Amino acid sequence: MSLLELDGVSASYGHADVLHGVSFVLPDNGATGLLGANGAGKTTTLRAISGMVRTTGRIVFDGRDITGLGPDRTAALGIAHVPEGRGTLGQLSVRENLLVGAYRRRDRKQIAVDVDYCLDLFPNLRERVGSNAAALSGGEQQMLAVARAFMAKPRVMLLDEASLGLAPSTARRVYDAVVRLRREAQVAMVVVEQNANLAFSVVDDATVLETGRVALQGSSAELLGMDAVRRAYLGG
Amino acid sequence: MATATRPAPAATTTPPRSVVTRAAAAVAGLAVAVVLVVAPLVSSPYINFQLASIMVFAVALLGLNVIMGYTGQVSLGQSAFLGLGAYITAYGVLNDWPIALSLLLSAVVPAAVGMLVALAAARLRGLALAMITLALPIIGVPLARRFDGFTGGSQGQVVSWLRAPESLGLANDQWRYYVVAVIALVAFLLVRNLVRGRIGRSFAIVKENEAVALSMGVSPYRTKVLAFTIASALGGLSGFMYLAVVQYTSPETLVFATSINLVAAMVIGGSASIVGTALGALYYVLVPVLAGQVNSSRTALISGAVLLAVLFVLPAGLVSLPRRLARRRSARRGTRTAPHDTADDAATPTSTDGSAPAVPAPAATTTDQHP
Amino acid sequence: MSYFVQVVVDGLSNGAIYAALALAIVLVHRATGLVNFAQGGMAVAATFVAFALTRAGVPVLLALLAAVVFGFVLGALLERGVMRHFERGDPDTAVVATIALLVLLTGASAFFFGYEPQPFPSLFPNRTFEVLGVFVSFRSIGTILVLIAVMVGLQLLFRSTKLGLAMRAVADNPESSALSALPVSRLLMIGWGLAAGLGAVAGVLVAPQLFISPGMLDFVLVYALAAAILGGLDSPVGAVVAAAFIGVAENLAGAYLDVVGDDLKIAVPFVAVMVILVVRPQGLFGRKTTVRV
Repeated sequence: MSLLELDGVSASYGHADVLHGVSFVLPDNGATGLLGANGAGKTTTLRAISGMVRTTGRIVFDGRDITGLGPDRTAALGIAHVPEGRGTLGQLSVRENLLVGAYRRRDRKQIAVDVDYCLDLFPNLRERVGSNAAALSGGEQQMLAVARAFMAKPRVMLLDEASLGLAPSTARRVYDAVVRLRREAQVAMVVVEQNANLAFSVVDDATVLETGRVALQGSSAELLGMDAVRRAYLGG
Repeated sequence: MATATRPAPAATTTPPRSVVTRAAAAVAGLAVAVVLVVAPLVSSPYINFQLASIMVFAVALLGLNVIMGYTGQVSLGQSAFLGLGAYITAYGVLNDWPIALSLLLSAVVPAAVGMLVALAAARLRGLALAMITLALPIIGVPLARRFDGFTGGSQGQVVSWLRAPESLGLANDQWRYYVVAVIALVAFLLVRNLVRGRIGRSFAIVKENEAVALSMGVSPYRTKVLAFTIASALGGLSGFMYLAVVQYTSPETLVFATSINLVAAMVIGGSASIVGTALGALYYVLVPVLAGQVNSSRTALISGAVLLAVLFVLPAGLVSLPRRLARRRSARRGTRTAPHDTADDAATPTSTDGSAPAVPAPAATTTDQHP
Repeated sequence: MSYFVQVVVDGLSNGAIYAALALAIVLVHRATGLVNFAQGGMAVAATFVAFALTRAGVPVLLALLAAVVFGFVLGALLERGVMRHFERGDPDTAVVATIALLVLLTGASAFFFGYEPQPFPSLFPNRTFEVLGVFVSFRSIGTILVLIAVMVGLQLLFRSTKLGLAMRAVADNPESSALSALPVSRLLMIGWGLAAGLGAVAGVLVAPQLFISPGMLDFVLVYALAAAILGGLDSPVGAVVAAAFIGVAENLAGAYLDVVGDDLKIAVPFVAVMVILVVRPQGLFGRKTTVRV
């Protein structure tokens, strides 16, 4: 049973087309990666799914055609987008950021439990729970962004370059938490990541994009077995 | 794409034009020039008064455009400089100064005042700067009432001056029209050259991004002080012209509402554009007159509605009208302009619900800056 | 001494009026990042509704409530129908759009009710009482109390309710807020509606003193802008404190400094604002962030 299916999705900014007929399938509880060089259309694919860019083609989520729905609508359906650059709300405290993530939820008690779960997941955040997000380090902001997305109790999380600008050990901690989220909370993942080592620690399969088109698709094992992929994304 | 033309100091001439359109523009410019020269000879004094008023406010708007349109710093105080210039001129006339001295001081004194204010305030940005400039007319009005020895107090100063020399055979309204027309022409030519040159480029860079300006060796602070000083000088100059046309000034000349209306007219005409400045002055003078003719008790209602309508239909100002029409015509023929912005993964999206990207997509602006 | 206290009390009473409109400005700025020059126009339009109702025999309190509701609807509709169009574009254009609304609303008020100032019934008894040689009007006390209630209410709204949290989130980053399924456009409408409702309160409070006319709030708006900016534009408490400071400072200067007198009173808050802004650009209570016009 597929949770999310993209079928011939194209997207454009103004007059410039950046995606040309991208298709892939994400099964329930699955995790898939989007790889490719800068400008290949990875971020745009995520933006197309969450409705942040003009899109043609078909995007089906949980049996429902969501093509053209805006980001607040797709989010309400259970798609949590952790955008590139994190998108944390700088003037709000860490706790408030988490509560904003839970905006659509009505289960007050469970929200408190989940806030606590997030703070366990990222002990750094527990220490800074009252401070403004703007005062956090880059790594802490990334953790907060992931935690905030989780607070929406999504079916799928779209993770965009979560390691960007982070020290390797910090990036590792973020991805460890992502792996835990997938396992413990059954959140499916679409992962855009420059660092393929990190990406393959989460995903089961991946799509390689080149200038807005699908160049390769396959399971992690298949892709890792290809010399070209290893050379391009694993530095050897 | 409205943002794409922003970095270019003189928006009207950026796109390379065909010979035909260039010739058409030259013909149109010549026609306007001929009309402007001949019009006062064949029009009633009332029409001449309105035409001359357009010149007056065109120069005031030109100043506002230097600081706000070209340099991107909100100023709500332009009317204060207009009033100051008018008062200085009136004082000069009443004390028998030579007219050239009045003219000079009507620009220099406001420039000095403007520079002092800017030296203190130019480190601020956005609203804080708006606030301080807003204070100028707010404080200026009671000050003008207070110093009645200089200003004539609440009654203001009636000054009868600038009569037409007998030898020319011109009526007073015609002569005054030509005087302000020449001043306006000189002011426009000077500013046009200024904004197309090195200084204009530094204005544009400061408007676009102060950090970038710093990295390019342009001091945002000094640039803003300079722009504000020029804006104030032009405001004062327009005060001289105002007194030439109206022959009267009072605290009413510098009220805050005038500043607000000037800002509106600047945006309506088209900010950061020389032609837009002239169109803005046309709007500033004519719309209240026309609205008053429709129904004088509904002037405000009509001007508000017109202002809003223009903003809706032409957010880049009246100056963008020909471009808009041309685009519409070519769109109907099905020939779209080639895409020139390269959006990559990092580009800002064009449309998301309720989101407000404060800055234009960086990719688009940089590609346009170096055609 | 009692004269001094009298001057301070009168200043506080003026400050309360400035504060009401300053709070409305802060509200819109928090919700949309815009400074709304139409604030005064919306408030006057709503006050005229109350005016029409009181002339038809409706009690003032009821008329006030009706004006608040009218203001809320007006503000929400203007955001939806007009400002929505400008929120994504050039901030200068958006500010001019609010100026257009100000002109339009003033014109509409004048069209229905004329430009002549007309008497407006007071919400509070028109009497004074004496405390330790100081004459205090019920109106001043009432105005100040209403204002404190509004300020506390707003602070609670922003700090302790889900709606307030969502509004702050949208003001902080609308795009990112949408990713958490916040109904961004509805929240912006609510922000404008609340601000206009608040403006109605300010209008009804000030109208008995100034007499109601389309331009009634022009000067109050200028003071309110000063207070909002001085308070840091994002802080309700900051706006109220700054407004009180402005009201008291101008009254004291007018009373004790001969150079200032009654006519130059208005210069005092601006000189104060200038000095403070030059020393502390983010305002008295603002956090250090860049402000968007």
